[in-house]
Amino acid sequence: MHKPLDGLFLSTREHIDEEEQRIVNTVRQWADREILAKRLTYLEHYEQEFAGKRGMLLMEIGLQRLALSEENGGFGWNSKASAPCLAAVLMEIGRADAATAYMSALQFTTILASGADGTSPIDTLISRFYSTDKPVNPALILPGPGSQDEQTPLFFGRSINARLVHEGDSAILFGKNMRPAGCGALADHFCVVCADSAGKPWIAFVPADAQGIQRGNILQETGLNACANADITFQHVRLPREATLEGKETVEGLYLWLNLFLGATSVGAAMNFFEIVYDWANTRTIKGGSLMKENPLCASVLADVAEEIAIARFLTDDLARLIAMTASPNGPELQNVYTFAQIVGYRVQQGAMRAVNRGLELMGSAGYAREWHAEKHWRDIKTIQSYLCGVGAEVPVKMDTARFFFDCREI
Amino acid sequence: MKSIDDFSRPEEYISPLDKHFRSVVRAWVDKDVMPHRREYDEDWKEHTLIEPAFDNLMANRGLGIQKALFPADLGGWGLGQSDYAFTIACTLAEEVGRADTAMAVAFMVTYWPLTTILVEPHVNRRLAAEFAPMFCKSDKAVFAALAMTEPQGGADIENMELLGGKTIKTTARLDGDEWIINGHKLWPTNTGGVGQLFGVPCTTRPGSTDPNDFALIFVPADMKGVTQGGPYEKAGMAADKNGDLWFEDVRVPNWYRAHGPGKDAQVFKEIIPWGLVGSMGFLVGAMMNLYEVLYEFVSTRTYGNRPLKENDAIAGLIGRIAGDIEVCRILAYEGARIGDRRNRPYGHPLYSEEVLAKLRNLKDFVCDRAVENFGRAMDVLGVYGPDRQYDIEKHWRDIKIIQLWMGGKQLCQMEAARYFYNCKTL
Ligand SMILES: Cc1cc2nc3c(=O)[nH]c(=O)nc-3n(C[C@H](O)[C@H](O)[C@H](O)COP(=O)(O)OP(=O)(O)OC[C@H]3O[C@@H](n4cnc5c(N)ncnc54)[C@H](O)[C@@H]3O)c2cc1C
Repeated sequence: MHKPLDGLFLSTREHIDEEEQRIVNTVRQWADREILAKRLTYLEHYEQEFAGKRGMLLMEIGLQRLALSEENGGFGWNSKASAPCLAAVLMEIGRADAATAYMSALQFTTILASGADGTSPIDTLISRFYSTDKPVNPALILPGPGSQDEQTPLFFGRSINARLVHEGDSAILFGKNMRPAGCGALADHFCVVCADSAGKPWIAFVPADAQGIQRGNILQETGLNACANADITFQHVRLPREATLEGKETVEGLYLWLNLFLGATSVGAAMNFFEIVYDWANTRTIKGGSLMKENPLCASVLADVAEEIAIARFLTDDLARLIAMTASPNGPELQNVYTFAQIVGYRVQQGAMRAVNRGLELMGSAGYAREWHAEKHWRDIKTIQSYLCGVGAEVPVKMDTARFFFDCREI
Repeated sequence: MKSIDDFSRPEEYISPLDKHFRSVVRAWVDKDVMPHRREYDEDWKEHTLIEPAFDNLMANRGLGIQKALFPADLGGWGLGQSDYAFTIACTLAEEVGRADTAMAVAFMVTYWPLTTILVEPHVNRRLAAEFAPMFCKSDKAVFAALAMTEPQGGADIENMELLGGKTIKTTARLDGDEWIINGHKLWPTNTGGVGQLFGVPCTTRPGSTDPNDFALIFVPADMKGVTQGGPYEKAGMAADKNGDLWFEDVRVPNWYRAHGPGKDAQVFKEIIPWGLVGSMGFLVGAMMNLYEVLYEFVSTRTYGNRPLKENDAIAGLIGRIAGDIEVCRILAYEGARIGDRRNRPYGHPLYSEEVLAKLRNLKDFVCDRAVENFGRAMDVLGVYGPDRQYDIEKHWRDIKIIQLWMGGKQLCQMEAARYFYNCKTL
């Protein structure tokens, strides 16, 4: 496909300045040169091959330091105002490889949710995590399904399965066979939503070399194969108190960033899927020689593909702007933006998934073959969608929404 | 609800053999497939784990089910003569599909080309006798394939109503008492090195829409000039091998043609209903397994500290999933009965527009429900949804192709529109 995607999928990005756009463009060049142009050579073991490419992106281009504050040795895109540029960068990476983008999304989420800005107590820990010349892999352990025979503290209905006990200057973390949203087997540190004895939510930042951490076997999962996952057990893991952040709002902040960044990741992957379908529809003929895209039924399916991606991108860009607006004194309240982030996050994943499902309909067997990479986007986006649901499909988000708009008290 | 067997189907139409077949195949599934199926994805190329399971189902040393369609006097079970052939096919598709839809398709596609010569009213005794030993006497699973799809497209070849075979590029030329076949096919189930007999739709006059120029010719894999490429790597369906198939001046006896001019085009149209009913059976079986996994998960995992299934909103969602399985099973068996009614005064021939349109429509509906419900179910499992250990994600990857194969969703929609609205130009 030789048309620029930006000209097709219009967006409201006027607030990204030239310097920021330069970084976005550099990432796009990396995607085009290092991954997309060589795709056919990545037929096997691409998870391992992409690791080298990811190293180039994070270390040589320097994306690993993008969301760190300048005080912590980063580019300084660590404020809410940076939301649109970070989302734009993730779309570019996602277009090349959703798993690489996913890992960056987790980095950005944990850094921004930590609030590390060069002045907060958590800075030492965050800068320790990132003062390395290797790619850093965080893993997130979020509230999710509970077990039948256990009553847990809840974050809006979702079970918080990890416990935090404060002891003087320390905090001690417990949790058995907890399922991260990807990357559990690789993680250099964990960002864990946990609860204290009063049931109040906290976030704990846990270095993977802390005593008392056990990892289960590597799981085989649908997509994001480079983000090898495993269950994690925290058995009396002692942390400095500064490694923990208190309160429901902190967890809301975490979800806010996560929805934005995973939305951007999936939109990026969906845009590359669009490019694949574009090429297919421009050359494939049906009915004995007519171009597929000129068939009204196929054209309407193609329209669905484009429509879903365009709307998902619009929503993601708008969410990014909304988050950026919370930085200004007259901006919206975090609680309101949390709900919007949940709604948008859910819709974006649903839209990206529908786009790919529809597009695959037109690709017949080619879409199902590994060779075309269309099926990879399908598996990767589905994995992100299910992770983000956490448990119960869209129901938890629906409950958040009903609670916000209709003042429901008991759901 | 007590078990998966309580999902409704029209009991009064079910074959007297149903119970027997079902229990024998389910025992094989539980013993030979369920314990290993999570490792099948990595076995896609070698079939080290998959092959012995097939042997136990299909070959003589196992259940011997690959001979089912052959007449009893040729060593088979005579199911080709049964009034319940479609209904039994649906049962088998469902039972094997519950464990692994790829195994179900690979084993049932073996019957697919053979239906044209073994099922009443089109039994070709000479060909039946020719191929019977291959299937009825083997101690190994023997796979047959129906090689329709070509590089330029599969949908057009199946779209006989509109295109009458004019896009087929594989040619058959009569030379004395032999057909000489040349062409390139892609994707047939049971290729990639495992196919031993191919049913090959060809044209005797390229570009022709005349049914007399359409030929369905059987080609054993060991004929000179037949080449099978290695298996393709796919999103799922590991137990089904698909690959390229080349015919280069392949010579077969002239009586390897299924029935001859005109009749071949008719039996080729009759093949499609088998594929559609089989597809529905695979999906219903997979969805029954989805129900089993989901039941366990929503009963033991919680939201708001109560089992997921006791939350009204989640109950609404999983209730819809179970409801869809119920409806789809009824439809699949109704589809099977449409096939089995073919010789009845109140039925329609398999090649008729009615049968084709109705079955394509049913298959399209069941596919859509299955694709939607597996996706939904993965989200209900949330962070566990993508985990192979929960089995739903494997079905999710496997079943998507059922929606795409046999000409894809849009061809189904077109056939339905053509029939129900009398469209002339689609
Ligand atoms: C696991 C697996 C098993 C398979 N088994 C077999 C087998 O046993 N035998 C075999 O021959 N093939 C088999 N196939 C191939 C499969 O049946 C074809 O891929 C399928 O028929 C679609 O053909 P195509 O991929 O060439 O797509 P195309 O024919 O190029 O069609 C692509 C899309 O175009 C659209 N389209 C086509 N015609 C029309 C129309 N008239 N109006 C509107 N839209 C239209 C549809 O969306 C369709 O999906 C298998 C494939 C897989 C992956």
